[in-house]
Amino acid sequence: MKRLLTILLLGFYVPVCAQTKADDVKTFTLKNGMKFLVLEDTSIPNANMYLFYKVGSRNEYPGITGLSHFFEHMMFNGAKKYGPKMFDQVMEFNGGANNAYTTQNVTVYTNWFPVSAMETIFDLEADRISSLSIDPKMVESERGVVLSERSTSLENSPWSLLGDAVNASAFQEHPYHWTVIGYENDIKNWTKDDLEKYFKTYYAPNNCVVVVSGNVKVDEVKRLAEKYIAPIPSGPQPRPVHLVEPPQTGERRVMVQKEVPTPYMMIGYHTPEAKHKDYYSLSILSSILSSGNSSRLYSSMVDQKQLATMVSTDFSESFDPNLFQFYIQAAAGSKESDIEEAVYDEIKKIMNDGITAQELQKVKNQKVMEFYSQLETINGKSNNIGTYEVFFGDYRKMFDAPAEYSKVTSDDVKRVANEYFKKSNRTVGILKTNAED
Amino acid sequence: MKTAIKYIYSALTIVFISAAAVAQTKPAAFKVPVYQKFSLSNGLTVYLMEQHEVPVISVSAIIPAGAIYDGSKSGLATLTAAGLQYGTKSYSKSKIEQDLDFIGASLNTYASKESSGLSSKFASKDAGKVLPILKEVLADPVFDKDEFEKERKRVLTSLQQAKQSPRNVINAYWDKFIFGSHVYGNSLTGSPETVGKFSIDDLKSFYTANYSPQGSAIAVVGDFNAKEMKTRLEGLFGSWKATAQARKNEAAVAITPVNGNRILLVNKEDARETTFLIGGIGIRRDNPDFVAIEVVNTVFGGRFTSWLNDELRVNSGLTYGANSRFTPLKNSGTFAISTFTANKTTEATIDKALQVLDSLHKQGFNDKTLASAKNYVKGQFPPRYETAGQLAGLLTQMFWYGFDESYINNFQSNVDGLTAAKSKEIINKYFPKDKLQFVLVGKSEEIRKVAQKYGPVTEKEIKADGF
Repeated sequence: MKRLLTILLLGFYVPVCAQTKADDVKTFTLKNGMKFLVLEDTSIPNANMYLFYKVGSRNEYPGITGLSHFFEHMMFNGAKKYGPKMFDQVMEFNGGANNAYTTQNVTVYTNWFPVSAMETIFDLEADRISSLSIDPKMVESERGVVLSERSTSLENSPWSLLGDAVNASAFQEHPYHWTVIGYENDIKNWTKDDLEKYFKTYYAPNNCVVVVSGNVKVDEVKRLAEKYIAPIPSGPQPRPVHLVEPPQTGERRVMVQKEVPTPYMMIGYHTPEAKHKDYYSLSILSSILSSGNSSRLYSSMVDQKQLATMVSTDFSESFDPNLFQFYIQAAAGSKESDIEEAVYDEIKKIMNDGITAQELQKVKNQKVMEFYSQLETINGKSNNIGTYEVFFGDYRKMFDAPAEYSKVTSDDVKRVANEYFKKSNRTVGILKTNAED
Repeated sequence: MKTAIKYIYSALTIVFISAAAVAQTKPAAFKVPVYQKFSLSNGLTVYLMEQHEVPVISVSAIIPAGAIYDGSKSGLATLTAAGLQYGTKSYSKSKIEQDLDFIGASLNTYASKESSGLSSKFASKDAGKVLPILKEVLADPVFDKDEFEKERKRVLTSLQQAKQSPRNVINAYWDKFIFGSHVYGNSLTGSPETVGKFSIDDLKSFYTANYSPQGSAIAVVGDFNAKEMKTRLEGLFGSWKATAQARKNEAAVAITPVNGNRILLVNKEDARETTFLIGGIGIRRDNPDFVAIEVVNTVFGGRFTSWLNDELRVNSGLTYGANSRFTPLKNSGTFAISTFTANKTTEATIDKALQVLDSLHKQGFNDKTLASAKNYVKGQFPPRYETAGQLAGLLTQMFWYGFDESYINNFQSNVDGLTAAKSKEIINKYFPKDKLQFVLVGKSEEIRKVAQKYGPVTEKEIKADGF
């Protein structure tokens, strides 16, 4: 007890030696509206460029579900100066590598390169942003690639199947209803015209935030941005997503059949978007529940009651209100109803009694370590700076995050648990072998 | 779950996950930061490297206690490594978890094929709390019986769950198929049949026989003063007593060569796609051509524009990704082409993969391709050794495989030194042409005929015990 007290008295640990500060990030915005965030870091002779486009599956509608992700693939399939295959060939010849990912909210392009290749990277990006060309032959082979991507994810993880069903039930009007990869028949049927419209609507420079980190000079990044990107004209603001999910007024349950050794379960509660005041309290609640073996759910459900072999929670940043999710893998022989009850019991304890000062301090300490991990690599820096800029409206919020977490009180956590973890606000999904039960 | 990406580079373990480097201009040379190495009187090798960018410390330890020492008790090395955390002389399991979670520290203990390991990361101000725990986890575990029984129940379920995913288990089938009864064929996880019979005494005996400071190493990298850290580690780890005896090097036994193509077909009744590996014996980690092989493999299957990915994905849309990799160990290793495709395109995809392998041998590659691969490998190299954790891992790998910092420091010049003529030799010597080994996980009923086209087929059921 004495030792604990000492730690608590020290309060929040201030990261004095972390070298990167908010002021180290330099920003400029081109005339066409593309915003650049640059962080000089000489630790390795490399750099990266992360381009965050504010378009994801939430911008789609039935008929073109999955198009954001498919489009992400098409961005590698040829433009005016660099034709099909050349984007990758030129980048790799110059020592660079790339990837890209699409979520419900954003499409992010990632380039990793020796700093000597930076001008080439600007040239390649400028070419595809200004003059992508959609080759019908490439569209057809890319359909096969994406169908294989969809199938391999379903083949290798029951979570995809279950997660898709839970989202489809929890969201009945909002576009989070469908999956990022899209419906199989949409993948097979969208047209070149759909793709061209999508490009015009969402790939204007003013719909993109760019982060560059690594062994670069801000002035050089600026010079190259002016030379290659500034001449690309801006476009009209894309139409905002106007669909709002109506409040859920009763528990929803979905059952999915798949042959599995023990059931997989998900429980999702509607929770607010990243910019909402409750974001930090909910994020702490998620860690209290499932971060580490000393967390409430692990210690009760996996260790003591042995009802589950794995339990985790997820609450991530999102443009629109999304789900706070629980994932549980049942232990052999345990009943699904017992598992559900065990989760609700743990939730109820927090709703009634809140959390202890020690638990709160534990999570705050964990958040500081997370912050350090984000700063350990130039990729972590770019990804997180960009994420905070896009989802929270300001990259500085990344550096404020430890302080924001330190402000959260035990009462805040109790309050958000009561506000969001209501029976009528949840969707329960179960995937198991015998769905006739 | 909510994310879809351009490319999964590593559907499977990729060893040559490399990166690249420069074009015509010379990049700044990348060097291993200064470090020191010394031995304690009990034989433990210690590496220390200061890195002050963020106030964290990473620890990596390596112990000669991998799955090759399992004997008939398949999975024992893995359960023993996990068991290190079931409590120690002065800390119960829950005390370890509570203390480490409270300060946001991580701790993993695991077994791999040849060795077992520990990795940990924590804030530098917490070194005084964490290091004594790490010492006891390695040197003074008590192997609590109740905790073991709980873990075993979880493991038995997870072994069944793993078989739901071909990607999770194909490597275990592969190693068994390639190495047969050689200890490199041992699986890391074991099976319900073997794990179900373990007792806590098995873990204790495995620990006593295999965990010892002699032959082990610990690397500490991060925000600390090396002189103070040295004193601290001597005080802590100096009391770790040697118990394990010197053992026969079972991995040094010769591997039986194969006479021709062989196919293992693993039936997964509900499979909609076929997941497969094609290849054979690869290289040892101490192969003098290690770097050159990496460059050549980059062209063949080690990057997005590699011949395999270009042909199987970009040109034909048969798969989401195809790659090739060498997995080197101390005494041997494997080489494999790796991809997956829908049931009905299995034959077309295997044929194409074999054609690409054939053209590697027949055509070789031109100077431009070689230059591109060199640039790529050099350019993507530095981010592999950026964090304290990566550097700690590098130091323990250096210890294990007996290489030194010249691997890193001369990497660029070794890559540059590869000539077109030498790359031809590399292809001939290390990339198989015939006597190919195949492991296919998929729906036998639909792909059996296809499999038979390539050679004699052995069939297994994925639901059968083990690999």
